[in-house]
Amino acid sequence: MSKNTKSAPKVLDPFQAWCHRWGRVGTVIALIYMVALPFIVLGSFNSIPAFGEVFNITTFGLLIIYIAVGISEALSYIPIMGSSAYLGFITGNIMNLKVPVAINAIKTANQEPSTPAGDAVAAIGIAVSSIVTIIILAITALLSSQLSFLYDIPAFRTASDYLIPALFGSMTLGLFASTSSGSKVVKNGIMGVVPVIIIVSLITLGARIMGGTEASTAIMGLVGPIIVVMLPVAILSSWIMFKKGIIKVVDNDKK
Amino acid sequence: MATMKDIATSPLLLVLVAIGLAYIVAFSVVYLMKAYRRALELGVTKEDLMRVIKTSAVSTIVPAISIAIGLFALIGSLGTIWSWWRLSVIGSLSYETLFSGNIAKVLGYMSSAEMMDTASGREFGIIMILMSVGMLSGFLILIPFGKKYATSVDKSQADSNPWKMVFSGCFMLCLLAVYVPILLFGDTIQAAVMLTGLVVALILSILAQKPKLAWLNDFIMAISMIAGMASAQLWTNIFG
Repeated sequence: MSKNTKSAPKVLDPFQAWCHRWGRVGTVIALIYMVALPFIVLGSFNSIPAFGEVFNITTFGLLIIYIAVGISEALSYIPIMGSSAYLGFITGNIMNLKVPVAINAIKTANQEPSTPAGDAVAAIGIAVSSIVTIIILAITALLSSQLSFLYDIPAFRTASDYLIPALFGSMTLGLFASTSSGSKVVKNGIMGVVPVIIIVSLITLGARIMGGTEASTAIMGLVGPIIVVMLPVAILSSWIMFKKGIIKVVDNDKK
Repeated sequence: MATMKDIATSPLLLVLVAIGLAYIVAFSVVYLMKAYRRALELGVTKEDLMRVIKTSAVSTIVPAISIAIGLFALIGSLGTIWSWWRLSVIGSLSYETLFSGNIAKVLGYMSSAEMMDTASGREFGIIMILMSVGMLSGFLILIPFGKKYATSVDKSQADSNPWKMVFSGCFMLCLLAVYVPILLFGDTIQAAVMLTGLVVALILSILAQKPKLAWLNDFIMAISMIAGMASAQLWTNIFG
């Protein structure tokens, strides 16, 4: 009796199933190679450092940046990238490249995120982006000695320092739009993250008033841990507003 | 005793990095072919897929050039080959730059240039291992829980459970809710650059509503991002 009332296990789309099987295998192989690479090189130069030299109190501060970033990126971006997360994570530059490209690909093909078709077009976008990036970086590395003058041009250096704000400026409209595509639409979804906006605004303004621009811009370095802390706040707040009827899912034409 | 420079410029490192990058390209190509075939089966038209490929390539060029510019900054502290590898796999321009900016001080050097000139091979080993092991934390979630986590927000069940659709939107909105106030209130120049990108994107999206300018839709992100970055020098002159 109880067996009949239980919901049947979800059958994955063939592409999603392939990603979760072979994408995962391919990712594990890449990870093993990435970790082994320094040891092979260092071993050949008889320069492998002792465990205590690598992992100690002075290096922990740097390591914690990576750990926090890694965890927060996984928690934040796996749902956005879906089954193409394996490729996205292994090729890196997630926030400034892969996520925007995935969102743009889904929008361009008029699909919804987290659906089989949405996952497939996001994967196409991420794969193309990964190949293009590798080609551009390879050309740059090969020509690095000839192109190094570019970095001496002040305007060029200034522009590259402001990649993230320029990126968010260009993406914000798309991020809002992505919650309102397809046959169903989330109405007032932004209300669920209002507490996050208020908390982060207060923290940033507080840091700026107390410690000046230097302190407030230093918060950018903590964005990974902040996302980890704020995600449960956003989910809880959205759930409460959904239950109270403030956030609704309606047909697109009733929007 | 090997120095940092010996290892950072060694042919062995170059060959291993080239093999690793060849694997990543092959992995991407296989993903691309599988996804392309499946998208066609699911009813996405060839024209739409070609637009996805075109816009993905075009919108990658600008950030990739920015990453390439960042490569120059990293070369001074980590050498060309290792910087190239880090920015091509797993790494992120912002965090790799943050790491390379701090590692010299952690190892007791006054500057990255001094570290590059005088550090030992073992010290470069510390850098290589820390950078390689550090970013594994995300994979400790992705590898065992990725399937369950990704499918838990599948929108195909939104009709039967509307909360799932709200839940899946939470992640992107939370990202926006964290970054936007920090960029807006943290620094005047950052805010001005972000607002420039936003205003340009808004103008382009209004223009793109005209049938003759619909093609602009594919370039809104790339153009508004370039405009935002290009405005940085102007805002620096005014507010800097």
